[in-house]
Amino acid sequence: MKSMKSDRGKLKGDTGKVSLEERRRFLGLGLKITGVLAGGSLLSLVPVEGAKSELLGASVVGTYTYEPHYAMLIYKDRCIDCERCIEACEQTNNVPSYGYRITILGRKKTGVEASKMIREFLPVLCNQCNRPPCVRVCPTKATFKDKKNGIVMMKESLCVGCKACMTACPYNARYYNRETESVDKCDFCFRRRLTSGEINTACVDACPADALFFGDLSDQKSEIYNLLHKPEQEILVLRPESNSMPNVFYL
Amino acid sequence: MNRLFEIFFIFLLLVFSSGIVCITEAQEYGGGPIVFIKPVRAVIFEHRLHLGKKLNCMSCHPGLFAKKAGEVEEKEDFTMASFNRGKYCGKCHDGTTAFSVNTKCVWCHIGVQGHKRLEEFELGK
Repeated sequence: MKSMKSDRGKLKGDTGKVSLEERRRFLGLGLKITGVLAGGSLLSLVPVEGAKSELLGASVVGTYTYEPHYAMLIYKDRCIDCERCIEACEQTNNVPSYGYRITILGRKKTGVEASKMIREFLPVLCNQCNRPPCVRVCPTKATFKDKKNGIVMMKESLCVGCKACMTACPYNARYYNRETESVDKCDFCFRRRLTSGEINTACVDACPADALFFGDLSDQKSEIYNLLHKPEQEILVLRPESNSMPNVFYL
Repeated sequence: MNRLFEIFFIFLLLVFSSGIVCITEAQEYGGGPIVFIKPVRAVIFEHRLHLGKKLNCMSCHPGLFAKKAGEVEEKEDFTMASFNRGKYCGKCHDGTTAFSVNTKCVWCHIGVQGHKRLEEFELGK
Protein backbone atom coordinates (compact mmCIF):
# COMPACT_ATOMS: atom_id res chain seq x y z
CA MET A 1 0.00 0.00 0.00
CA LYS A 2 2.79 2.28 0.97
CA SER A 3 4.65 1.61 -2.24
CA MET A 4 1.47 2.16 -4.22
CA LYS A 5 1.09 5.53 -2.68
CA SER A 6 4.63 6.53 -3.37
CA ASP A 7 4.23 5.28 -6.91
CA ARG A 8 1.21 7.38 -7.39
CA GLY A 9 2.97 10.41 -5.96
CA LYS A 10 5.87 9.86 -8.29
CA LEU A 11 3.56 9.60 -11.25
CA LYS A 12 1.68 12.68 -10.26
CA GLY A 13 4.92 14.58 -9.91
CA ASP A 14 6.01 14.24 -13.49
CA THR A 15 3.08 13.26 -15.63
CA GLY A 16 4.72 14.96 -18.53
CA LYS A 17 7.51 12.41 -18.57
CA VAL A 18 5.35 9.32 -18.08
CA SER A 19 4.87 7.52 -21.34
CA LEU A 20 1.47 6.58 -22.63
CA GLU A 21 2.11 2.89 -22.02
CA GLU A 22 2.91 3.50 -18.39
CA ARG A 23 -0.17 5.61 -17.91
CA ARG A 24 -2.26 3.01 -19.59
CA ARG A 25 -0.80 0.20 -17.52
CA PHE A 26 -1.28 2.23 -14.37
CA LEU A 27 -4.88 2.97 -15.21
CA GLY A 28 -5.35 -0.69 -16.06
CA LEU A 29 -6.92 0.09 -19.36
CA GLY A 30 -5.09 -1.78 -22.02
CA LEU A 31 -6.03 -0.83 -25.52
CA LYS A 32 -9.70 -1.43 -25.52
CA ILE A 33 -10.77 -2.65 -28.87
CA THR A 34 -14.44 -3.14 -29.13
CA GLY A 35 -15.90 -4.70 -32.10
CA VAL A 36 -17.88 -3.99 -35.15
CA LEU A 37 -20.00 -6.97 -35.87
CA ALA A 38 -21.16 -8.42 -39.10
CA GLY A 39 -24.81 -7.94 -39.82
CA GLY A 40 -25.79 -9.90 -42.87
CA SER A 41 -23.49 -9.24 -45.78
CA LEU A 42 -22.79 -5.66 -44.74
CA LEU A 43 -20.56 -4.57 -41.93
CA SER A 44 -22.53 -2.86 -39.24
CA LEU A 45 -21.38 -0.82 -36.29
CA VAL A 46 -22.38 -2.64 -33.16
CA PRO A 47 -19.87 -2.34 -30.34
CA VAL A 48 -19.01 -5.50 -28.47
CA GLU A 49 -18.67 -4.90 -24.76
CA GLY A 50 -15.50 -6.10 -23.16
CA ALA A 51 -13.80 -7.45 -26.24
CA LYS A 52 -10.24 -8.14 -25.24
CA SER A 53 -7.34 -6.60 -27.07
CA GLU A 54 -5.15 -9.60 -26.27
CA LEU A 55 -7.38 -11.80 -28.36
CA LEU A 56 -8.48 -9.56 -31.14
CA GLY A 57 -6.45 -6.43 -31.61
CA ALA A 58 -3.48 -5.93 -33.80
CA SER A 59 -2.25 -3.24 -31.51
CA VAL A 60 -1.55 -4.82 -28.18
CA VAL A 61 0.76 -2.17 -26.82
CA GLY A 62 4.28 -2.55 -28.11
CA THR A 63 3.69 -5.35 -30.54
CA TYR A 64 4.09 -3.69 -33.87
CA THR A 65 6.16 -6.27 -35.62
CA TYR A 66 6.82 -4.51 -38.89
CA GLU A 67 9.02 -1.57 -39.64
CA PRO A 68 7.43 0.61 -40.81
CA HIS A 69 4.11 -0.73 -39.54
CA TYR A 70 1.61 1.06 -41.72
CA ALA A 71 -1.85 1.65 -40.31
CA MET A 72 -4.87 3.78 -41.00
CA LEU A 73 -7.20 5.56 -38.65
CA ILE A 74 -10.69 6.46 -39.85
CA TYR A 75 -12.94 8.94 -38.09
CA LYS A 76 -16.27 7.34 -38.89
CA ASP A 77 -18.39 10.39 -38.11
CA ARG A 78 -16.43 12.61 -40.48
CA CYS A 79 -17.09 10.78 -43.73
CA ILE A 80 -19.55 12.62 -45.97
CA ASP A 81 -19.56 10.19 -48.92
CA CYS A 82 -18.12 12.73 -51.36
CA GLU A 83 -16.26 9.78 -52.93
CA ARG A 84 -13.14 11.82 -53.63
CA CYS A 85 -11.08 9.00 -52.11
CA ILE A 86 -12.59 6.59 -54.62
CA GLU A 87 -11.83 8.93 -57.51
CA ALA A 88 -8.26 9.50 -56.34
CA CYS A 89 -7.74 5.78 -55.89
CA GLU A 90 -9.07 5.00 -59.36
CA GLN A 91 -6.71 7.52 -60.92
CA THR A 92 -3.66 6.51 -58.90
CA ASN A 93 -4.02 2.75 -59.17
CA ASN A 94 -5.78 2.37 -62.55
CA VAL A 95 -8.84 0.84 -60.98
CA PRO A 96 -11.47 0.01 -63.63
CA SER A 97 -15.00 1.37 -63.32
CA TYR A 98 -16.41 -1.99 -62.24
CA GLY A 99 -13.74 -2.45 -59.56
CA TYR A 100 -12.89 -0.79 -56.29
CA ARG A 101 -10.12 -0.67 -53.77
CA ILE A 102 -12.03 1.45 -51.30
CA THR A 103 -15.78 1.54 -50.82
CA ILE A 104 -18.09 3.66 -48.73
CA LEU A 105 -20.87 1.89 -46.91
CA GLY A 106 -23.93 3.84 -45.93
CA ARG A 107 -26.90 3.12 -43.78
CA LYS A 108 -29.79 4.93 -42.20
CA LYS A 109 -29.21 6.32 -38.76
CA THR A 110 -31.35 5.19 -35.88
CA GLY A 111 -33.26 7.27 -33.36
CA VAL A 112 -34.27 10.90 -33.93
CA GLU A 113 -32.13 11.23 -37.01
CA ALA A 114 -33.92 8.36 -38.75
CA SER A 115 -37.01 10.46 -39.31
CA LYS A 116 -34.96 13.04 -41.16
CA MET A 117 -33.57 10.44 -43.56
CA ILE A 118 -30.06 11.05 -42.29
CA ARG A 119 -27.45 8.49 -43.18
CA GLU A 120 -24.03 7.65 -41.85
CA PHE A 121 -21.07 6.58 -43.91
CA LEU A 122 -18.19 4.23 -43.38
CA PRO A 123 -15.19 3.98 -45.69
CA VAL A 124 -13.93 0.42 -45.97
CA LEU A 125 -10.67 -0.64 -47.55
CA CYS A 126 -8.24 -3.53 -47.16
CA ASN A 127 -7.42 -3.80 -43.46
CA GLN A 128 -3.91 -5.14 -44.12
CA CYS A 129 -4.56 -7.75 -41.44
CA ASN A 130 -1.77 -9.15 -39.33
CA ARG A 131 -3.36 -12.58 -39.80
CA PRO A 132 -4.74 -12.22 -43.30
CA PRO A 133 -7.32 -14.89 -44.19
CA CYS A 134 -6.81 -14.15 -47.90
CA VAL A 135 -3.14 -15.08 -47.71
CA ARG A 136 -3.96 -18.31 -45.94
CA VAL A 137 -6.31 -19.53 -48.64
CA CYS A 138 -4.31 -18.53 -51.71
CA PRO A 139 -3.23 -21.76 -53.47
CA THR A 140 -0.45 -20.15 -55.51
CA LYS A 141 0.92 -17.69 -52.95
CA ALA A 142 0.02 -14.87 -55.32
CA THR A 143 -1.06 -12.77 -52.38
CA PHE A 144 1.36 -12.39 -49.51
CA LYS A 145 2.09 -10.28 -46.49
CA ASP A 146 5.21 -8.23 -47.04
CA LYS A 147 7.85 -9.25 -44.52
CA LYS A 148 9.17 -5.74 -44.09
CA ASN A 149 6.17 -3.42 -43.91
CA GLY A 150 3.28 -5.83 -43.40
CA ILE A 151 1.25 -4.71 -46.39
CA VAL A 152 -0.80 -7.50 -47.98
CA MET A 153 0.25 -7.42 -51.61
CA MET A 154 -0.54 -9.16 -54.87
CA LYS A 155 1.81 -10.79 -57.35
CA GLU A 156 -0.41 -10.63 -60.42
CA SER A 157 1.65 -13.08 -62.49
CA LEU A 158 1.02 -15.88 -59.99
CA CYS A 159 -2.71 -15.29 -59.60
CA VAL A 160 -4.86 -17.94 -61.28
CA GLY A 161 -8.12 -16.13 -60.64
CA CYS A 162 -9.71 -18.73 -58.39
CA LYS A 163 -11.18 -15.93 -56.25
CA ALA A 164 -10.68 -17.90 -53.04
CA CYS A 165 -9.19 -14.79 -51.44
CA MET A 166 -12.28 -12.76 -52.33
CA THR A 167 -14.39 -15.28 -50.48
CA ALA A 168 -12.03 -15.40 -47.53
CA CYS A 169 -11.74 -11.65 -47.03
CA PRO A 170 -13.97 -10.55 -44.15
CA TYR A 171 -14.06 -6.97 -45.46
CA ASN A 172 -14.96 -7.61 -49.09
CA ALA A 173 -11.92 -5.57 -50.08
CA ARG A 174 -10.92 -7.47 -53.23
CA TYR A 175 -12.19 -7.52 -56.79
CA TYR A 176 -11.30 -9.42 -59.93
CA ASN A 177 -9.61 -7.29 -62.55
CA ARG A 178 -10.54 -8.56 -66.01
CA GLU A 179 -7.75 -6.67 -67.76
CA THR A 180 -4.88 -8.10 -65.72
CA GLU A 181 -6.80 -11.35 -65.16
CA SER A 182 -5.97 -11.30 -61.50
CA VAL A 183 -7.47 -10.19 -58.22
CA ASP A 184 -6.66 -6.61 -57.26
CA LYS A 185 -6.70 -4.96 -53.86
CA CYS A 186 -5.54 -1.94 -51.88
CA ASP A 187 -1.83 -1.91 -51.07
CA PHE A 188 -1.84 1.43 -49.19
CA CYS A 189 -0.60 2.91 -52.49
CA PHE A 190 2.73 1.18 -51.86
CA ARG A 191 3.66 0.69 -55.50
CA ARG A 192 2.36 3.99 -56.81
CA ARG A 193 3.18 6.39 -54.01
CA LEU A 194 5.03 5.09 -50.95
CA THR A 195 7.95 3.68 -52.94
CA SER A 196 8.43 7.04 -54.64
CA GLY A 197 8.78 8.84 -51.34
CA GLU A 198 5.22 9.99 -50.73
CA ILE A 199 4.12 9.69 -47.12
CA ASN A 200 0.35 9.54 -47.63
CA THR A 201 -1.93 7.32 -49.66
CA ALA A 202 -4.00 8.86 -52.46
CA CYS A 203 -7.27 8.53 -50.55
CA VAL A 204 -5.89 10.28 -47.47
CA ASP A 205 -4.61 13.17 -49.54
CA ALA A 206 -7.93 13.48 -51.36
CA CYS A 207 -10.18 13.51 -48.29
CA PRO A 208 -11.59 17.01 -47.73
CA ALA A 209 -12.94 16.18 -44.28
CA ASP A 210 -9.75 14.66 -42.81
CA ALA A 211 -11.69 11.49 -42.13
CA LEU A 212 -8.73 9.29 -43.03
CA PHE A 213 -5.39 9.31 -41.28
CA PHE A 214 -2.38 7.30 -42.39
CA GLY A 215 0.85 6.64 -40.56
CA ASP A 216 3.53 4.39 -39.18
CA LEU A 217 2.77 2.68 -35.88
CA SER A 218 6.31 1.44 -35.29
CA ASP A 219 7.39 5.01 -34.69
CA GLN A 220 6.20 5.93 -31.21
CA LYS A 221 6.53 9.62 -31.93
CA SER A 222 4.25 9.54 -34.95
CA GLU A 223 0.87 11.25 -34.83
CA ILE A 224 -1.13 8.11 -35.55
CA TYR A 225 0.58 6.29 -32.69
CA ASN A 226 -0.40 9.00 -30.25
CA LEU A 227 -3.94 9.23 -31.60
CA LEU A 228 -4.38 5.48 -31.15
CA HIS A 229 -2.83 5.26 -27.72
CA LYS A 230 -4.72 7.95 -25.91
CA PRO A 231 -5.86 6.54 -22.58
CA GLU A 232 -9.59 5.83 -22.35
CA GLN A 233 -9.81 5.96 -26.12
CA GLU A 234 -12.31 3.52 -27.55
CA ILE A 235 -11.08 2.12 -30.81
CA LEU A 236 -13.16 0.07 -33.15
CA VAL A 237 -12.11 -2.48 -35.70
CA LEU A 238 -14.24 -4.14 -38.30
CA ARG A 239 -15.28 -7.73 -37.67
CA PRO A 240 -13.02 -8.56 -34.73
CA GLU A 241 -14.56 -12.02 -34.50
CA SER A 242 -12.80 -13.00 -37.71
CA ASN A 243 -9.61 -12.79 -35.64
CA SER A 244 -7.65 -11.28 -38.49
CA MET A 245 -6.05 -8.48 -36.44
CA PRO A 246 -6.69 -5.58 -38.78
CA ASN A 247 -4.51 -2.49 -39.13
CA VAL A 248 -7.33 -0.13 -40.03
CA PHE A 249 -8.88 1.41 -36.96
CA TYR A 250 -12.08 3.36 -36.53
CA LEU A 251 -12.68 6.16 -34.10
CA MET B 1 -69.25 33.17 -79.60
CA ASN B 2 -70.47 33.78 -76.08
CA ARG B 3 -69.83 30.13 -75.24
CA LEU B 4 -66.31 30.38 -76.60
CA PHE B 5 -65.65 33.31 -74.26
CA GLU B 6 -67.06 31.32 -71.37
CA ILE B 7 -64.71 28.41 -72.02
CA PHE B 8 -61.80 30.78 -72.45
CA PHE B 9 -62.67 32.48 -69.17
CA ILE B 10 -62.83 29.18 -67.29
CA PHE B 11 -59.56 28.19 -68.89
CA LEU B 12 -57.95 31.44 -67.74
CA LEU B 13 -59.33 31.01 -64.24
CA LEU B 14 -57.89 27.50 -64.02
CA VAL B 15 -54.46 28.62 -65.19
CA PHE B 16 -54.33 31.55 -62.80
CA SER B 17 -55.68 29.68 -59.79
CA SER B 18 -53.13 26.90 -60.25
CA GLY B 19 -50.49 29.60 -60.61
CA ILE B 20 -51.61 31.18 -57.36
CA VAL B 21 -51.46 27.83 -55.60
CA CYS B 22 -47.92 27.35 -56.91
CA ILE B 23 -46.84 30.76 -55.69
CA THR B 24 -48.31 30.32 -52.22
CA GLU B 25 -46.75 26.88 -51.96
CA ALA B 26 -43.42 28.29 -53.03
CA GLN B 27 -43.73 30.93 -50.37
CA GLU B 28 -44.55 28.28 -47.86
CA TYR B 29 -42.01 25.65 -48.89
CA GLY B 30 -39.68 27.26 -51.38
CA GLY B 31 -40.00 24.32 -53.69
CA GLY B 32 -38.17 21.03 -53.36
CA PRO B 33 -34.76 20.45 -51.86
CA ILE B 34 -31.80 22.45 -53.11
CA VAL B 35 -28.75 20.29 -53.76
CA PHE B 36 -25.26 21.76 -53.94
CA ILE B 37 -22.68 19.73 -55.83
CA LYS B 38 -19.80 22.19 -55.56
CA PRO B 39 -17.29 22.21 -53.99
CA VAL B 40 -18.26 18.82 -52.58
CA ARG B 41 -20.94 16.46 -53.87
CA ALA B 42 -23.56 16.65 -52.42
CA VAL B 43 -25.12 18.91 -49.81
CA ILE B 44 -28.86 19.16 -49.31
CA PHE B 45 -30.83 22.21 -48.24
CA GLU B 46 -34.54 21.99 -47.51
CA HIS B 47 -36.59 25.18 -47.54
CA ARG B 48 -39.44 23.51 -45.71
CA LEU B 49 -37.23 22.69 -42.72
CA HIS B 50 -35.95 26.25 -42.52
CA LEU B 51 -39.00 28.39 -43.27
CA GLY B 52 -41.57 29.18 -40.62
CA LYS B 53 -40.89 29.76 -36.95
CA LYS B 54 -38.55 32.74 -37.03
CA LEU B 55 -37.39 32.65 -40.62
CA ASN B 56 -38.92 34.05 -43.78
CA CYS B 57 -37.58 34.63 -47.30
CA MET B 58 -35.93 37.89 -46.35
CA SER B 59 -33.86 36.27 -43.60
CA CYS B 60 -31.54 34.76 -46.21
CA HIS B 61 -32.48 36.33 -49.57
CA PRO B 62 -30.83 38.22 -51.06
CA GLY B 63 -28.45 39.04 -48.22
CA LEU B 64 -26.85 35.65 -47.61
CA PHE B 65 -27.77 33.82 -50.79
CA ALA B 66 -28.82 35.01 -54.23
CA LYS B 67 -32.35 33.96 -55.09
CA LYS B 68 -31.24 32.05 -58.16
CA ALA B 69 -30.43 28.47 -57.24
CA GLY B 70 -26.86 27.45 -57.92
CA GLU B 71 -25.44 30.97 -58.06
CA VAL B 72 -23.69 30.73 -54.70
CA GLU B 73 -21.88 27.55 -55.78
CA GLU B 74 -19.87 29.56 -58.28
CA LYS B 75 -18.35 31.68 -55.53
CA GLU B 76 -14.89 30.69 -54.41
CA ASP B 77 -15.45 31.27 -50.71
CA PHE B 78 -18.46 28.93 -50.55
CA THR B 79 -16.53 26.51 -48.34
CA MET B 80 -16.70 25.04 -44.87
CA ALA B 81 -13.82 27.30 -43.83
CA SER B 82 -15.87 30.44 -44.49
CA PHE B 83 -18.93 28.87 -42.83
CA ASN B 84 -16.80 28.54 -39.73
CA ARG B 85 -16.10 32.25 -39.95
CA GLY B 86 -19.84 32.99 -40.02
CA LYS B 87 -20.49 33.33 -43.74
CA TYR B 88 -23.40 31.77 -45.64
CA CYS B 89 -24.81 28.81 -43.63
CA GLY B 90 -22.50 29.69 -40.75
CA LYS B 91 -24.49 32.88 -40.12
CA CYS B 92 -27.04 30.83 -38.17
CA HIS B 93 -25.27 27.48 -37.85
CA ASP B 94 -22.81 28.80 -35.29
CA GLY B 95 -23.63 26.59 -32.32
CA THR B 96 -25.98 29.08 -30.64
CA THR B 97 -28.75 29.90 -33.14
CA ALA B 98 -28.56 26.46 -34.73
CA PHE B 99 -26.15 23.53 -34.54
CA SER B 100 -22.61 24.46 -35.48
CA VAL B 101 -21.32 23.72 -38.98
CA ASN B 102 -18.41 21.75 -37.55
CA THR B 103 -20.75 19.15 -36.08
CA LYS B 104 -23.39 16.83 -37.52
CA CYS B 105 -21.75 16.61 -40.94
CA VAL B 106 -24.18 14.06 -42.36
CA TRP B 107 -27.26 16.14 -41.54
CA CYS B 108 -26.57 18.14 -44.69
CA HIS B 109 -23.94 16.11 -46.55
CA ILE B 110 -25.94 13.40 -48.30
CA GLY B 111 -23.04 12.21 -50.41
CA VAL B 112 -22.82 10.96 -53.96
CA GLN B 113 -25.06 7.95 -53.32
CA GLY B 114 -27.61 10.15 -51.57
CA HIS B 115 -27.64 12.54 -54.51
CA LYS B 116 -28.21 9.69 -56.94
CA ARG B 117 -31.08 8.38 -54.84
CA LEU B 118 -32.62 11.83 -54.69
CA GLU B 119 -32.40 12.25 -58.45
CA GLU B 120 -33.99 8.89 -59.05
CA PHE B 121 -36.83 8.98 -56.59
CA GLU B 122 -37.68 12.58 -55.85
CA LEU B 123 -36.71 14.67 -58.82
CA GLY B 124 -37.58 11.94 -61.29
CA LYS B 125 -34.61 12.54 -63.54
